[in-house]
Amino acid sequence: MTTVLTAPAQAEPLVRRIRPGLTAAGIFLALVVPAALAPGLLTTYAPDAIRPADFFQPPSTAHWFGTDQNGRDVYTRLVHGAGQSLLIGLGATALSLTLGITLGLTAALGGRRADFAVGRVLEVLFAFPGLLLALLFIAVFGTGAVTAAVAVGIGEAAGYARLIRAQATTVVRSGYVEAARGLGHPPLRVVRRTVLPNVLRPLAALATLGIGQSVVWASSLSFLGLGAQPPAAEWGAMLADGRTFLQYAWWTSFFPGLFIVLTTLSTTVIGRRLQAWLDARSS
Amino acid sequence: MTATVARLRRYGVRPAGAALVLWAAATVTFLALHLVPGDPVLVLLGGGSGANPTPETIAAIRHAYGLDQPLYAQYLHHIGRLVTGDLGVSTSLKEPVAGVITQQLPATIELTALALLFAWLLAGAVVLLSTGRGALGRALGSGLETVAAGLPHFWLGVVLLYVFAFRLGWFPVAGGTGIAGLVLPALTLAVPLAGYLGQVTRGALLTALEQPFVTSARLRGMSSAAVRARRALRHALLPPLTLSGWAVGALFSSEVVVESVFARQGIGRALLNAVLARDLPLVTGIVLLIAAVYVLVDLAVDLLHAVVDPRIRTPREL
Amino acid sequence: MKPPSRRRAVTSLAALALTVLATGCGAGAVATAPLGDRPAPGGTLTYATDREPTCLDPHVSGDMPQAYVAQQFLDSLVALDAHGRIRPWLATSWDVSKDAATYTFHLRRDVRFTDGTRFDAAAVKANLDHMVDPATQSGTAGGYLAPYKNTEVIGAFTARVHLDRPYSPFLNMLAQAFLGMESPKAIERGKEANCAAPVGTGPFIVQKWNRQSDVELVRNPHYNSPPPYARHTGPAHLAKVVWRFIPEPATRFAAVQSGQADVIDALPPEDQASAERDSRLKAVVRDRPGNPTNLALNASRAPFDDRRVRAAFLYSADVVNGLKSVFFGQYRRAGGPLSYVTPDYAGGYENAWPHDPKKADALLDKAGWGHRDGAGYRIRKGRRLSADVLLKSDISPNQLALMEQIQATAKDVGFDLELLGLDAATVNTRYLAGDYDLRDGYWNTNTPDVLHTVFGSEYAVHHGIHSNASYAKDPAIDRLLRTAQATTDQDSQRRLYGKAQQLISAGAYQLTLYPQTTRLAAHRASVRGAALEPALSLPYLYDAWVNAR
Repeated sequence: MTTVLTAPAQAEPLVRRIRPGLTAAGIFLALVVPAALAPGLLTTYAPDAIRPADFFQPPSTAHWFGTDQNGRDVYTRLVHGAGQSLLIGLGATALSLTLGITLGLTAALGGRRADFAVGRVLEVLFAFPGLLLALLFIAVFGTGAVTAAVAVGIGEAAGYARLIRAQATTVVRSGYVEAARGLGHPPLRVVRRTVLPNVLRPLAALATLGIGQSVVWASSLSFLGLGAQPPAAEWGAMLADGRTFLQYAWWTSFFPGLFIVLTTLSTTVIGRRLQAWLDARSS
Repeated sequence: MTATVARLRRYGVRPAGAALVLWAAATVTFLALHLVPGDPVLVLLGGGSGANPTPETIAAIRHAYGLDQPLYAQYLHHIGRLVTGDLGVSTSLKEPVAGVITQQLPATIELTALALLFAWLLAGAVVLLSTGRGALGRALGSGLETVAAGLPHFWLGVVLLYVFAFRLGWFPVAGGTGIAGLVLPALTLAVPLAGYLGQVTRGALLTALEQPFVTSARLRGMSSAAVRARRALRHALLPPLTLSGWAVGALFSSEVVVESVFARQGIGRALLNAVLARDLPLVTGIVLLIAAVYVLVDLAVDLLHAVVDPRIRTPREL
Repeated sequence: MKPPSRRRAVTSLAALALTVLATGCGAGAVATAPLGDRPAPGGTLTYATDREPTCLDPHVSGDMPQAYVAQQFLDSLVALDAHGRIRPWLATSWDVSKDAATYTFHLRRDVRFTDGTRFDAAAVKANLDHMVDPATQSGTAGGYLAPYKNTEVIGAFTARVHLDRPYSPFLNMLAQAFLGMESPKAIERGKEANCAAPVGTGPFIVQKWNRQSDVELVRNPHYNSPPPYARHTGPAHLAKVVWRFIPEPATRFAAVQSGQADVIDALPPEDQASAERDSRLKAVVRDRPGNPTNLALNASRAPFDDRRVRAAFLYSADVVNGLKSVFFGQYRRAGGPLSYVTPDYAGGYENAWPHDPKKADALLDKAGWGHRDGAGYRIRKGRRLSADVLLKSDISPNQLALMEQIQATAKDVGFDLELLGLDAATVNTRYLAGDYDLRDGYWNTNTPDVLHTVFGSEYAVHHGIHSNASYAKDPAIDRLLRTAQATTDQDSQRRLYGKAQQLISAGAYQLTLYPQTTRLAAHRASVRGAALEPALSLPYLYDAWVNAR
């Protein structure tokens, strides 16, 4: 690209150096992850402690994000809910990656017939866009946090499988594998040492991006009453609960929504950065 | 490969593939019905007021659905019924599934069409306004797109409903009637979609701007806006067009959330209620419909590609 | 006339007075807007409600949303007036045999169903037969008609109903919309068609049911059979009623605030205060007779087969404070088995089960649940003191919050309550099989005989529809209620039902929460004359008219 055609901007170095988005995302996740691992460190209230007398207190120093209809501390529930919300997101992503890697590698390494079969399977899976497969799964197996996580995981698997298939095929067709085989290495070792690392490296970025998506999908299901059940302090379920009282107590739904949005944005920003960094390293 | 063979492949093989996918999707829904724990007869009878069937009723349903036959015969029966357009009877609504879908579909199509239009307009506006304005403009534009793409529908919908319907009263609170009731739900669907579309269009647009023909056009004295609008955008239209097929499918599934936030009629909300009621005939019917729409739109987009893609039509122009 | 404070005026009309939503001239009308607006024929009224029925025919199943809308298109054989007396409606008069087991109805001769079918004795027979037919799956009407034997068509317009025992509440039951009269020709179309568009003799006709959106009702131009509590004769004023379904409470309230809906019901408790402050709106709240909203304790299986454990659970709950918070103080506590507006209600049991964790602990210790596990739940022989609460997933947010509070206070004394938010089908299956420990319910009706329906051992069916959700089986209770059914003497009824309330309260079969309530909000500028009928306090739109907006 020539500098003549895209006018050089004065602001560019500044934006580059500070990276406000990345910094903010890092700070947010640095707060959420400890919350998920050890919620007791960040709050003194119990998430299910009901105090009917304290219902719908607006945000204050005693209750940073106010209290809900049962007098429970919204901040405490958000902190405790981080674990469940992120766990559902991580679990779903892990499941979809496992399925995706299995399908993708089978296609890339299993020869023409396997590739054809996986290709057709993926086409079928792609015919169920978005939450559709997850909804079908829930209709069959019922509602609940675990079902929702599995449902989201299955729903997202096809996307990963396609990317891994493409990536693995490129690696297999490149000289590496031929060379490794030529050196007399056993096939499994070739897969482990040559194919997998080349496939998994770009996947790190994708998985980070995927966690955000999973959190949104899982909380959508909870919002619809199909995921985590009360009195679980799951963010989507909290938002659904608070939405009824929006006119009366905006804080009970505003903060859970904000946390979902910030989590997604943070993982997206970091995932992108990771992707750019990996791209730069590999070229 | 000659042009004729290529065309044959494009117009023949793709539809065959689409049919294959539809058949597989129908198989998936058949499996779903049989994976449900418990007696499929009771599943088909559903609950609500309709349960507590007599043994005679159970036997009648078992026979009517062929559930007393071996699995392969049931499967053939299932596919046979689907081919004739018989999607079964909804257990929660006690109505034929096809009838429910016919009643709910128009509202969803309206919403989908308007949402797609809004999404294009929003994405186009942001990309055109932010491209060529230096790094800051680009950062702002892509930041906006990232935020938009990350907004969950249920959150955006609730906020829009609260601000523009409850507080400001600009739009009706419970949708359904007329274009005014359509705006907020369509926007709720369009904003995150516009984020995705913008990201993709931006990439294509930037690539196009780096092409030598833009340089030569500029050297010939075309204004930069004209360059962007006329040549580059058209060049950049291909990936978003491909995305449209995906977008229609994604919109259909997002409508499950949006229609229930805005208390709108539509197949998304029907699907949600069916899932909540574990009304398997209705769930599988709607899922199959959306899959079919998605596959057909995808096919149409594929065929349209040939029309829009200048490289396919007149390869030498570039 | 000095406009009384709205809410107090409404609750003070507690007994079965006819409440009128806006201006009107009937007794008990709450006058607010300037009089002089004459009923204007024509126009469309939009009514928004929370739950969409699964079937519009109230004979089938029989839940409140069905009765609400059926009141607009079905007439009944008899009516209740504002003082709780039985009055003629489609039946002009009736004779009751000495043993109160045979009822002979003399019918109006000039009424036709809106499909043209004549209303006559054969129609009455077809309706009652339809309600008791097991294929109809009628929980409410069919349950009320448990003593029904058959109907004899004596003449074209004379029908004789034979019951298998004396049954004094029969006429009260007939006055409810659940037992409304439908065209026999329409019933013959089969369940599916009849559910979609039942045909009555009422002031409106079901024109179209747009699922998940609304039911369109149009005026019956030939209407000539208004009930005695109606304030005009002839066809309804309104040309059309759009009966909309808006499940989300905040959205429904916003719809009436903006005038998008003329009337809403299930006014959310959190919005009631602002509805009363809002000069554009008129709120009407009336408690209903019957068995209050409750959690039934399943006494047929552990752990609630032990009265001490049931009593401990009742003592553990802090219902009063729960209502103060999640229902914004708008709901009153109901402590006894009858709502305070039910005839023969005995007031002594409202505070029979106060919040008393100490007593609960002592009772559980005595019942053998003395040990607690690490999580604080009581255990006995390695088993946790746990209870499944059967709830539908479409439970209102306030009710769910109350359940969460009950769960939390029960935990304090060592109960492990699991709140199951399940789909309708699963809830129904588990309910029919008796597979639950606690189940939320209510029973709206206009006689104390509801005690028989809800606590009589003949309704404690183990595999099937059972209105006795707690499986109470007490021969003493049965005897009292059967005796009350067999007498028409009001003093002995009062005594018998009073004694029954005492035994039921002491039996700890239900955690009663609050009376069922009709809560409407109407847009003042656009609607006049919408009323509540006296039998079940259902909204009644026959006398309503809309103003040009």
